[in-house]
Amino acid sequence: MPIEDPNTQPPVDDYQWHTGRTTEVVDPAIEFIGVKKAFGSNKVLNGLDMALPDDQISMILGPSGTGKSVCIKHIVGLLYPDDGDVLVHGESVPMMGDDQLYAMRQRCGLLFQDGALFGSMNLYDNVAFPLRQHTEKSEDEIAHIVNQRLKEVGLGNSNEKMPNELSGGMRKRAGFARALVLDPDIVMFDEPDSGLDPVRTALLCELIQEIHAENGGAYVVITHDIASARRVAEYIAVLWKGQIVESGAATDLFESANPFVRQFLSGESQGPLGME
Amino acid sequence: MSAISTKGSGALESAGVLMRFCGRILGEVYSLKVMKYFGEALRQAGILILSSTIVIWSLTFIIGLQCGIEGAYFNRSVGSPAYAGVFAAWCDLRELVPYSFGYMMAAKVGTGIVAELGSMRISDEIDALEVMGVPSLTFLCSTKLLAAWMVLPFVYLSGVGAGFLASYLAVVQQIGEVSSGGYQLIFWMFQNPPDLIYSVIKGMTMATAIVLVGCYYGYNASGGPVGVGTATAKSMVLNIVLVHIIGMLGTQLFWGANPNAPIGG
Repeated sequence: MPIEDPNTQPPVDDYQWHTGRTTEVVDPAIEFIGVKKAFGSNKVLNGLDMALPDDQISMILGPSGTGKSVCIKHIVGLLYPDDGDVLVHGESVPMMGDDQLYAMRQRCGLLFQDGALFGSMNLYDNVAFPLRQHTEKSEDEIAHIVNQRLKEVGLGNSNEKMPNELSGGMRKRAGFARALVLDPDIVMFDEPDSGLDPVRTALLCELIQEIHAENGGAYVVITHDIASARRVAEYIAVLWKGQIVESGAATDLFESANPFVRQFLSGESQGPLGME
Repeated sequence: MSAISTKGSGALESAGVLMRFCGRILGEVYSLKVMKYFGEALRQAGILILSSTIVIWSLTFIIGLQCGIEGAYFNRSVGSPAYAGVFAAWCDLRELVPYSFGYMMAAKVGTGIVAELGSMRISDEIDALEVMGVPSLTFLCSTKLLAAWMVLPFVYLSGVGAGFLASYLAVVQQIGEVSSGGYQLIFWMFQNPPDLIYSVIKGMTMATAIVLVGCYYGYNASGGPVGVGTATAKSMVLNIVLVHIIGMLGTQLFWGANPNAPIGG
């Protein structure tokens, strides 16, 4: 049996599944235009073009290490692109001055993977923090808002608890409450399902849907959990190797003929996506 | 040779980054932007008072005892036990109280800042602050510097007082070869108000450097808990070196040309 010389194999195109098929997003809340970002020699975003709609729950899906969290950090200006532009409600984030950037961030809420609660404050003070920093509200008004938000996320009786006394799920819910207190236009979730059991993941997804239905705005969820995507996503963008493979309405994406998208959204081991 | 020059340029680059970072913190304080978070500065001041004052005073008291004992025995050995106050005055005010203050600041406050900010960095709390629209550098670092400037001059002056008291107790009460009046006459003759101001400047320069270095290493920590530990160790090394450099330069600057010693008329 002849041994195949690897040099004679046709080169694999990294972007052969990136059809770029997308649904046009009218008046997007967030746009990435040709964004490139590298950390040293590691190119994370490689000319990313992506638009996320306003007033919907969007999900950025993709295998681990494809730059999903890096996308969120670009939206809030924690990272800047090496090339390209990121627009939030039509305004370029990299071009914003400090004051404009901080004002924009006040209209955004971000739930970090582990909640990122301040370890030196109890739950109540953590949730009250943005209100105390950015509003002139009295302590009574703040108490009303904070208690309401904590009740919404099922933590109404945990005001005095310190973050280290909370479970992972409780910390995420507390982080969610904190992200919501300023009534932001854009709320982002960085892997809200990581470290949670399936039941609590389902409950958190329900909570996201309920609160979005109540408050509206652009919600952006980053995950690689397909069950969560099926539950809450209205719009999906599949990211791989720093570019969008396909994006569009969730119902369309789950019916996609693209082998990569199909494999990823069905969680099959056979397909273009391997361990590499 | 090229490895040495690469290492040298790397160290120079790191020093430049550190200086730039410190400049930003100082700029936030001098431009009064930090006043927006004055409440946080007051909270930090409270933490400094409650957590560090007693330990600083204790150390300066012990150092004062040592200055008194060494001074008393040295002056006895040269046949002038009544002049023990000279040694105590200079040892306390000019050298060992500033150094002991610097050591304790580096060990207690500097490492505390690195650990606090470093753990906030690796648990995304600093990013969370930024995302909430709060400038983290101002809120976390400039408030700490302002708090240090508000509180530490008084802590330092009290520390000098603790050192003086301890020297008095050692020379007059413990060894007892000079009367209280005789000790105090010489002790106060060999120092004046400018000496006290110079000493405070020395101590406060050390404190400023320690807070800034602590903020730099903590704010820029990376690599998980191990990274925070490494940053804490690095800050301690740099702070101890800086304490000695500031101490040496301060002595040269303030007393190098004029020792302010009323000897010989």
